[in-house]
Amino acid sequence: MAWASYPTREEVDFVVIGSGSAGGIMAKELSSAGFSVVVLEQGPHLHAGNFKHDEWDYTQNEALVWGPRKGHPQTFRRYEHEKAQIVDRPPLGYAHNVGGSSVHYSGNFWRLRPIDFMEASVLGPISGTNFADWPISYDELEPYYTKVDWEIGLSGLAGPWDPPRSRDYPCPPMPVKASGVLLERAARKLGLTAYPEPHAILSQPHNGRPGCVHCGFCNGFGCEVSAKSSTAVAMIPLAEATGRCELRTGCTVSRINTDARGRATEVVYWQEDGTEQAQRAKAVVLSANGAESARLLLLSESSRHPDGLSNGSGMVGRNLMFNGGSRVAGLFPEPINAHKSVATTRVIHDFYSIDPKHGFYGGGGIDERSLSRGLPMTAALGGSVFGGKSWGSAYKKSLAREFTHACSFNGHTTSLPLSTNNVTLDPDVKDKWGRPALRTTFMNHPDDIATMKFFFDRSMELMEAAGAIQIEGHFSEEGQRGGVHLLGTCRMGNDPATSVVDRYNRSHEVPNLYMVDGGSLVTSGRGQPTMTIMALAFRAADHIIQAGKRGELA
Amino acid sequence: MSDLELSRRAFLSSTGTAARASMIVLSMPMILSASRQARAAQAEGAAFSAFTAEEAAEFGAIAARIIPSDETPGATEAGAIHFMDHVLSGTHSDRLPILREGLASLQATVRSTYGTPRFSALSHAQQDALLTEIEDGKFFGTIRFLTVAGTFALPAYGGNRDGIGWKMIGFEDRHMWMPPYGFYDADYAAKGA
Repeated sequence: MAWASYPTREEVDFVVIGSGSAGGIMAKELSSAGFSVVVLEQGPHLHAGNFKHDEWDYTQNEALVWGPRKGHPQTFRRYEHEKAQIVDRPPLGYAHNVGGSSVHYSGNFWRLRPIDFMEASVLGPISGTNFADWPISYDELEPYYTKVDWEIGLSGLAGPWDPPRSRDYPCPPMPVKASGVLLERAARKLGLTAYPEPHAILSQPHNGRPGCVHCGFCNGFGCEVSAKSSTAVAMIPLAEATGRCELRTGCTVSRINTDARGRATEVVYWQEDGTEQAQRAKAVVLSANGAESARLLLLSESSRHPDGLSNGSGMVGRNLMFNGGSRVAGLFPEPINAHKSVATTRVIHDFYSIDPKHGFYGGGGIDERSLSRGLPMTAALGGSVFGGKSWGSAYKKSLAREFTHACSFNGHTTSLPLSTNNVTLDPDVKDKWGRPALRTTFMNHPDDIATMKFFFDRSMELMEAAGAIQIEGHFSEEGQRGGVHLLGTCRMGNDPATSVVDRYNRSHEVPNLYMVDGGSLVTSGRGQPTMTIMALAFRAADHIIQAGKRGELA
Repeated sequence: MSDLELSRRAFLSSTGTAARASMIVLSMPMILSASRQARAAQAEGAAFSAFTAEEAAEFGAIAARIIPSDETPGATEAGAIHFMDHVLSGTHSDRLPILREGLASLQATVRSTYGTPRFSALSHAQQDALLTEIEDGKFFGTIRFLTVAGTFALPAYGGNRDGIGWKMIGFEDRHMWMPPYGFYDADYAAKGA
């Protein structure tokens, strides 16, 4: 089989920027349909054999998630009048490698539900926010959710708890963990339903990949057996096998150039050695994630696009949403060993929409987790969750008890889209390429915090019902300071005045530019957005392919 | 047999001691002490990259109070000091000035309070009292971070010898687990929901 290799000065059909959850799918779909594709990925191409249980490298040395140590500082501030400061831990967290964050995610895959797409109509507007309906419905996206189930590879159990589905999951759910049993039994006592968490992790062989071996180094790590359904293992090999997709790694994009007609013509990037290149293309797909795509559009300003490319609405980078969260930890008399296997195995969605009579907007889900992602060093660095000294013999004893005998019930909740929460270019701090650093400005809407509190309270009740002998909890009462769900920064909509891409992820302003990633999300959902990011990618690719067949792409 | 005893036994077998098991349990404190001396001697003799021999002894003494050797081995037996030396001469060399300045300041306090320059020469109670004074500061935060990391990181980085840190908290590094993972899922499998 011949691998594709294209000269940069010849036009390919598509350049796809980013090879993550959306980019990997776009590359596979477009190349399979016969288009020539170049994928530009800033990180390396890592395989199962490259991944290790190396907590130091992954959590402290920026192995996948680059930050200041790798020459990629980020800055943070609460409000737009403040000066942003460099933060040790990048506020916007994502993996830099082929497959993007789908390589290190925990693979919890929740579909949105019909209500998510029309919530603003149902509940009415929320003043001071950009809360809006989606331009598409659940029914329009459902076939693509099913495509994700089967082509990416999901495990789960269909049931009355699921939104409507046209086909069953390809693999049965993951075996329940002790922590999942505690949540399920507590839920039953309180009249709630805890059902098997759907995962983008294979519980048994599927599509030529093996089932999970439950090693526990999952969330934040790359899978050593390729059971985790990242686009690096589920999509990229298929794209490369078409012979029409060239994957270029170690390539950092600096800008997208446009011509006098306002069409995208080429993508400028640096190779790893610093050499500048430019790949010409008939069309560009920007799938660099909710942080990097916005930065790249802002960096691609020109006399014709003074506020950044595709930013006539001023919405590029705005409406940043993370999903809120809360955590309630419980200590139990018997061993749980939540550090084994996947992050979570049971989820409660009885509070998907909080009754508006509470006086605030919100909703979410509750699942069960290990403390400190079940990582020994991270747990030890954190110290005792239930209080006590952080060093000495008492500290040692508390670690020994908590690592094996504790788990947490976590809330995953809505975020409201606000213009004042955004990604912009830092005016002072630069990354190793000399590009302005990502600057995050973020303070939650009060309803986000009220929702986190609501879920914190429900988790407390559940933890008591589960029989914990000690309980400690936390939520971001003073607002979140970052996240790994990077949503809303290139929002989808029918009106070019208030949105960046149309209902098929095409730029309102640049007809041959598509933004496909978490930035498209109009509302945040209740957590676990990657399922929707992937479904949108399959849908956008399908639309592009159909348009191409009708000769409408030129 | 409790987890603790298991980890003791695993630790002892990994030290290569040929004594009988009953003997080992009875003479546990003595063996631990001998082992500590052996480690200390090894540390003195080993070539450090980032540390001088004196610094290694002083930082090692602090690490030994952060994760002490008591019923189970601690940072000393884990060789956390070798992890520290490794990362401080590489990826985390930016932390070295914090440690050096902090140690100088700590030694100044030791000298003015006890009339000796060495923190490592003090009793455990004296050491703990001094460390409690500075436990909220940047120096202690940094050395605690490195001590804990050096006790629990992959042994390939020079610390966590023989998985001592992992055994301490009941973690076993395996590439495959099968359910049940704990008590409650075993109970669920036996009795149902």
